[in-house]
Amino acid sequence: MYTSMPSKSIREGIIKGDFMIINTDVLVIGAGPAGSTAAKHAALNGAKVTLIDKKSEIGAPKRCAEGVSKDGLAKLGIEPSSRWVAKELSGVRLVSPNGTDVLLDDDKVKLPESGYILERKVFDKHMAMDAARAGVEILVKTIATGLKRGEEDQVLVDVESMDEKFQIKAKIVIGADGPESRVGRWAGLKTSIKPKNMESCAQFEMANLDMPYPDCIDFYFGSVAPGGYAWIFPKGDDIANVGLGILTTKTDKTAYQHLLEFVKNNPATKNAQPVELNIGGDPVGGMLKDIVADNVMIVGDAASMVNPLTGGGIISGMIGGMIAGKIAGAAIQDEDYSKKRLKEYKDKAQEEIGDSFKKYLKAKEYLLSLSDKELDSIADAFQDAEFESINTSELIKLLIKVSPKALLKLGKLF
Amino acid sequence: MIVNEWCMYCGECAGVCPRCLIEVRESKLIFDPENCKDCQICIQVCPVRALEKE
Ligand SMILES: Cc1cc2nc3c(=O)[nH]c(=O)nc-3n(C[C@H](O)[C@H](O)[C@H](O)COP(=O)(O)OP(=O)(O)OC[C@H]3O[C@@H](n4cnc5c(N)ncnc54)[C@H](O)[C@@H]3O)c2cc1C
Repeated sequence: MYTSMPSKSIREGIIKGDFMIINTDVLVIGAGPAGSTAAKHAALNGAKVTLIDKKSEIGAPKRCAEGVSKDGLAKLGIEPSSRWVAKELSGVRLVSPNGTDVLLDDDKVKLPESGYILERKVFDKHMAMDAARAGVEILVKTIATGLKRGEEDQVLVDVESMDEKFQIKAKIVIGADGPESRVGRWAGLKTSIKPKNMESCAQFEMANLDMPYPDCIDFYFGSVAPGGYAWIFPKGDDIANVGLGILTTKTDKTAYQHLLEFVKNNPATKNAQPVELNIGGDPVGGMLKDIVADNVMIVGDAASMVNPLTGGGIISGMIGGMIAGKIAGAAIQDEDYSKKRLKEYKDKAQEEIGDSFKKYLKAKEYLLSLSDKELDSIADAFQDAEFESINTSELIKLLIKVSPKALLKLGKLF
Repeated sequence: MIVNEWCMYCGECAGVCPRCLIEVRESKLIFDPENCKDCQICIQVCPVRALEKE
């Protein structure tokens, strides 16, 4: 039998050894960038918030190449800190299968979207620390294992923390549990990802690289990474994240096998050595349509808030988290946690994130339809092009200029 | 399902499981074999091929 304890906080209840149900306004499951941001904004908007993560160390191991845009951080109101910015970038290099490169750097163009490479293990912790400062209670090494609807207008979440099993009764649950996305499914949302929409990724963090442009992020296209691309994201000095994402529907080899080949064949990594291996899934099918249920919202990778072309999901997940957190706070004030009330989150997220993804999804389909030969000839044509700016939609406009196939597939969208 | 020792608990398998049968802990994978329909999508997507059919 469960008994409701008057414990002030969950931690206090655990210390007392009570088998218990704990009440909170908002429970956020998962302390990645999306969850910490959601928790922070829910607390800033007046709710009592609990944030749990199954890991013993928030941010580690990383499943990420760590690139973000400066604009994105600014939009979230986050000041860059030397504690978690590993490297400031000044350009992008696109490399075709035969090694022809298109360099988009500061000398040639203004860079409205130039960015940073983060140290995610530190960044994620700092985002959680900001949540703590906003009044959020955080529990690490604490996993949610199930969810059911309570009698009142609340949900009961089964939780395990070390040898303690208890339940958290929340008015609103925000599922920020990453690409595993189980919380949404417990609430009846269809969040499972088809393999054709899940990039399978492998990455080494390496040292002793020989990078021709150590201030640029490199993208490699074509059969080096079937269904995705390979990357070298520099982290300062001779250090970089070297990785790739593939679709397992397009190759029989694993992401790891493709990575070993890439590292062996790329001139920049001939003498490089790994100090870390990262793997993971990146949901690139476009934002899910169903992201709210009664008392439940899902954010970040759990809702596929990932740019389908680039695979970037840090900023978009945090923006989703910010919207969800604010609306959770307001819904608690209104005492209305119905799907109808929370739908405001879905609509705003669709407007701010989902809609822009649609054209990137088309662009990705186009990119994946190109053979190595076609990619090489496009890279060739790019050699004489004049660039005015470097954001993704400008790039695609340029692509349309040089490739008739692009016009056919993308012309109307950009 | 056999979970090989080199599994890194990244959770990609759990995300694609159409029946939500895989629980990923910090250093443990728990399958619900009773409800598994043997679609093997989890085996297919693993970046390091850590999963094997029994
Ligand atoms: C190889 C790779 C490279 C990438 N590179 C980039 C990049 O350069 N730039 C970019 O913007 N994006 C990149 N991404 C995507 C980016 O990593 C994700 O979009 C981002 O981490 C999503 O944040 P999140 O908070 O939604 O989820 P996550 O960061 O995955 O956090 C989810 C958290 O939930 C916890 N959790 C899960 N289940 C439970 C549970 N049941 N109970 C308690 N806690 C739970 C997990 O432990 C985890 O801490 C990359 C992804 C991959 C795989």
